[in-house]
Amino acid sequence: MDLLTTSVAKVESGSEPYTLVELVGEADVTNSDALHEVLDAEVAKRPRTLIIDLSGLRFMDSSALHVILRANRAMDRQGGVVALASPRDPVAKMLRLTAADQLIPVYASVSEASAG
Amino acid sequence: MPDSRLPPGPPPVRAAWVARSDGADGMDGVDDIDGQPRRPDDAVYHTYQSDLSQVRDLVRRQAREAGLTDARVEDLVLAVSEVAANTLRHTRSTGTLAIWHDADEVVCEVRDEGTITDPLAGRRRPPPDASGGHGLWLVRQVCDLVELTSDASGTTIRMHMARRARETAG
Repeated sequence: MDLLTTSVAKVESGSEPYTLVELVGEADVTNSDALHEVLDAEVAKRPRTLIIDLSGLRFMDSSALHVILRANRAMDRQGGVVALASPRDPVAKMLRLTAADQLIPVYASVSEASAG
Repeated sequence: MPDSRLPPGPPPVRAAWVARSDGADGMDGVDDIDGQPRRPDDAVYHTYQSDLSQVRDLVRRQAREAGLTDARVEDLVLAVSEVAANTLRHTRSTGTLAIWHDADEVVCEVRDEGTITDPLAGRRRPPPDASGGHGLWLVRQVCDLVELTSDASGTTIRMHMARRARETAG
């Protein structure tokens, strides 16, 4: 089994469509290039909103964080928004300690994130 | 265990860091790692080169066994993983993790052949959107004590977690 599994969905329900990227497993330096490719491909489609569901992520290191921050910058440049949803406690703490949570909004759930 | 990789003289870059929940912060020579490595005979060793998941699993198991709370177990897992990630990023050699605990604390020591030239590495928080440098910052934030010694022959970083911790914020 892969250390990190990613799945991408276009969600049309609700007020506004958004792209949902779900991360499951452990995101670290050994798979951050793969994560970058996945996020890059979605950013290139220029969605208005890109929500990254972290609920299945058992571990995230600073390499994975940098990939997410890079995607956030790219989205920002093209007028889009990245949101993070339901990080587990250790991941939430890491986002807080790096102050990444001040750059990217963090929500308790995907539905809250999609409501903005 | 004697360590042939550490040179006899003082290395050019050396820093001992203390980060405490009470806000005390500064250089501290309480546990000098330049001299006698204090690794006991029952230390557990693990060599890694590509798989950090195994490193994290081992740290998690040992830290739980030593009775750390779940949150502090994950703090230590993150710290060791960040240091080990630097081995993968910056060296082509293996890294070695040693873990042990005594009555007071759990200690994880990571050695590799990389060299850290900035004595203040990890002492300042990088801007959140920086493209690097968060790893050692995080290490220093989540551990009770971090010691670092580095020279041309390699780097040793020792991370300490008290077994009976004061409750930390966050």
